[in-house]
Amino acid sequence: MAGADITAGVKGQGSADRRLRPYLGFIWPALVVCSAVIIFPWLFTVWMSFNDWHIGSARAWVGIENYSKLATDRRFLESIGHTIYFTVLAVFLPLVLGTFAATVFHKKFRGRGFFRTLFIMPMMATPVAVSLVWTMMFHPQLGVLNYLLSLVGLPPSLWVFAPATVIPSLALVEVWLWTPFVMIIVLGGLASLPTEPYEAALIDGASQWQMFWKITYPLVLPFIVVAAIIRTIDALKAFETIWVISNGGPGTASETLNVYLYAQAFAYNQVGTASAVVVVFFAIIVVLSLVLLWARQKAQWS
Amino acid sequence: MTPTPATRRRIRRGIDNAALYFAVAVLLAPCLFVFFWMISLSLKYDIDNTAWPPVFIPTEPTFDNFVHVFQESPMFLYFWNSVQVTGSATLVAMLLGVPAGYGIAKARAHGLAAVLLLSRMTPGLSYLIPLFALFQMMGMIGTVWPIALTHMVITLPIVTWIMIGFFETLPQELEEAARIDGATIWQAFYYVALPLARPGIVVGAILSFIYSWNNFIFGAVFAGRTTRTMPVAVYNMLTFESFAWGPLAAAAIVVMLPVMALTIVIQREIVQGLAAGGVK
Amino acid sequence: MIDRLSLSRRRALQGATALALAAPMLNTKTAYSQSGAFNWQRFKGQSIEVVMETGPRADLVKKYLKEFEGQTGITIGLEIIPEQQARQKTTIELNSGKPSFDVFNIAYHVQKRQIEKARWLFDITAWTKDPQMTPAEYEFGDVSKPGWDYATQSDGKITSLPMFVDYFMIYINKELFAKKGVQPPKTMDEMMAAAAKLHDPANGIAGYVGRGLRNANVPLYTQYLSGWGQETTRGNPPELLTDTPDAIAAAEYYKKILSNYAPQGVSGFNWNECQGLFMQGKAAIWLDGIGFAPPAEDKTKSRVVGKVGYILPPAGPKAHHSVFFGGGAAIPDASPKKEAAYMAALWMTGRQMTSRMLQTGGGVPFRSAPLKDPAVLSQLTIPKEWADCAAGCAPISMPGLPVIVPVTQFRDTIGTALTNMLAGADPATELKRATAEFKPILDKSEQS
Repeated sequence: MAGADITAGVKGQGSADRRLRPYLGFIWPALVVCSAVIIFPWLFTVWMSFNDWHIGSARAWVGIENYSKLATDRRFLESIGHTIYFTVLAVFLPLVLGTFAATVFHKKFRGRGFFRTLFIMPMMATPVAVSLVWTMMFHPQLGVLNYLLSLVGLPPSLWVFAPATVIPSLALVEVWLWTPFVMIIVLGGLASLPTEPYEAALIDGASQWQMFWKITYPLVLPFIVVAAIIRTIDALKAFETIWVISNGGPGTASETLNVYLYAQAFAYNQVGTASAVVVVFFAIIVVLSLVLLWARQKAQWS
Repeated sequence: MTPTPATRRRIRRGIDNAALYFAVAVLLAPCLFVFFWMISLSLKYDIDNTAWPPVFIPTEPTFDNFVHVFQESPMFLYFWNSVQVTGSATLVAMLLGVPAGYGIAKARAHGLAAVLLLSRMTPGLSYLIPLFALFQMMGMIGTVWPIALTHMVITLPIVTWIMIGFFETLPQELEEAARIDGATIWQAFYYVALPLARPGIVVGAILSFIYSWNNFIFGAVFAGRTTRTMPVAVYNMLTFESFAWGPLAAAAIVVMLPVMALTIVIQREIVQGLAAGGVK
Repeated sequence: MIDRLSLSRRRALQGATALALAAPMLNTKTAYSQSGAFNWQRFKGQSIEVVMETGPRADLVKKYLKEFEGQTGITIGLEIIPEQQARQKTTIELNSGKPSFDVFNIAYHVQKRQIEKARWLFDITAWTKDPQMTPAEYEFGDVSKPGWDYATQSDGKITSLPMFVDYFMIYINKELFAKKGVQPPKTMDEMMAAAAKLHDPANGIAGYVGRGLRNANVPLYTQYLSGWGQETTRGNPPELLTDTPDAIAAAEYYKKILSNYAPQGVSGFNWNECQGLFMQGKAAIWLDGIGFAPPAEDKTKSRVVGKVGYILPPAGPKAHHSVFFGGGAAIPDASPKKEAAYMAALWMTGRQMTSRMLQTGGGVPFRSAPLKDPAVLSQLTIPKEWADCAAGCAPISMPGLPVIVPVTQFRDTIGTALTNMLAGADPATELKRATAEFKPILDKSEQS
């Protein structure tokens, strides 16, 4: 995409090509495989977004009518809002918790390997299967989560069964699932850090907190940003968790773009409208990714 | 008498240690509780599973749910399907993705990196209808290959991105030394860079395996009756006339066991890799 | 000469086998007596693929698969998928022109019009009249009119065989009723009053539980609406009636009973959450489909075994109906094995299998004979009260969903309005908004 190259500057274009040529052999097989599988669906989607087609009826060319209808579709616009709300929660919380977990598990202590294995287990869980279990745990009257709340004296929550609490509850599931992922990436970064600055800081009597903020955080920031990019894209596209647990409900309170897309394509069989949603959705993802990529560039050069 | 610096350090270390173990406990508790509850659900009859207050340890545990899971569907067949799909998707991702990550990192070709990211950014649902039509035209529906192919679109970008990150943090000196000694780019890659990036490769392989094994939506649409993958089988355990919490939990455990087992085995690799990965 | 001899020998053999097979079940008549030139074995050696929705019907087919294969020599590859997925999969595959199945479960209340307009089904009208393709004991006359209405397209062609019908009935917890001395309700007002009396949140008991989840809640709403004698659409081309004063009154009833006398979080409940609560003895009244009796009477799943009462849905201010939904067996036009598929469809919807379905409480056939057959009724595995209630629903039944193409979108739109009401929105405003939102979609779907 052009964004990153713009930051490299026009002057760098010539040297960029020269840098690239010897390595092309490494890169093109992967590019070809990926493109081959996604080119046809993409062409189909873009073309179909200008059509109106309900499976079982005839198809008709309608130009940009799908897009103009989406622009005034209350349900579609609300789904964008839900998506942003959900994504912010599902990215920020795992980043913070995951980085914290990485610093904890980076320290040497007895049983570290064992505990670390335990901690990354949620990432291995099959989202569909675990979401079904979470649904059971969320049940307001029979679920175990409200029981736990009652044990510590808190009132029961309606979790995913009320419009106000459904998105945070779904984000909770995502946090549970993907914090280990962030931890692994940041841990990898921590492992590659040199130890001298820490040794010097310890001699100087610095506290854990100071060492983290002054030494660890700046050096590990590129890794955090990588994790942030992947998490953002995944959270924007999160589907199975939301679909299995709340199906966009109650009503449409947790309907994100992806769930709305599913409803249009597979429940209502409106392939034209769904294709238009895909294009808009993709545009949103690209914009957000560009922002994060730019942040990554800045983090690297600092 | 004021404590000596040595004592102060010891106290501080004591507090640090306690804080550390407390932090580990806090992190692990919610993580493990869900698994504990899942196991508990799978060992109880449904009448206990929906009881209130919840029954944590069953008074009469039963393996009926697990038996039911294997009776209801040919789980071993689904396991084999999952192995085929995930195995090929991961293998291809490693073979193509590691070099690609290396190439992009060395050439600083961020544009190409972003192109690969494109396939990850596309909502998976948008592939389904056109690819279904395409695969059907090619007569591939009913085999595992459509599923494997679409999984590759998931696994390849992951591996590539992880490897870009790792290769970028590797210092150039060692490879440049090798090049000066007369090695070609490929030899420098294969003999110098690759061993150093082992932790990244392991992480990439695991992530690729996990994402592919746990993927539900592609298997749900492209699979036929005999080519279903395990996550799809779990979802199908939703029976019509009852909650079926017990069998569902049992099926969930069965699906996750292979990945869990793999993690436990590979976990040592990660630890070793990460410990040795520091460039010293 | 020789033919007649071998015919009678074959008939004797068949009769003996049939008796042996029929022994554990229902009829005093043999189920497979040969009639004229019909022969179950005519297409033997073929193998077909069948897709069914997860549920008791699929379980039944799975259980007796070997029997069918023995009887006809046709092997079946049976695929059972959850309801939503099954409908999506069949739609996508039928549309592609090369479905992977030869017989599938058609959910009439959702798919009928869409499939009919797309002309994906094979016309079996001729076969239903052909004695070589359909045995006389299939007893077409026994199938009720709603069943044939479902199975017949608007152009008069029969494209499926009706299998089962789902009515709505009330499940009550007799113990909770007895404790407070409340009589089982007969009208909607009585039901509201009973729910109020039995509602005891301090002890974790809800007076009433019902579907609040968008899309799933529309059948519950149409059941209430039937109490005003109204459906959600009228006429052909269909005209929306979801914003009439009666529709709003029904919505107000829905809002009132679910907001006041139902458990917290009911706006996210589908039938399985409702069922779970009821089976734990935490809800006194549950109004839903009739197919949920078996687990309630299962000791490993339910705490209310033997305490469940099955009564007719309540009468409303203007009428007394039970809404119904149904399913059948259909053959895609693109199937290369239509004859063998037809044999399977005949068997699945025939008297024997549908009677078994009734016996296990897995559903009610469109046929009336099993409901009256004492041999069938004596083998019920669930209380007879249930079967009586189902039999009582039939004469007062009314379609629960409109026969339009975008049924799912209709259910989502109206369902969202209903769920919003549970969160406090005004019924009239919500229904008017939803009607205005859906009207263009409906009109468009009728044009093409």
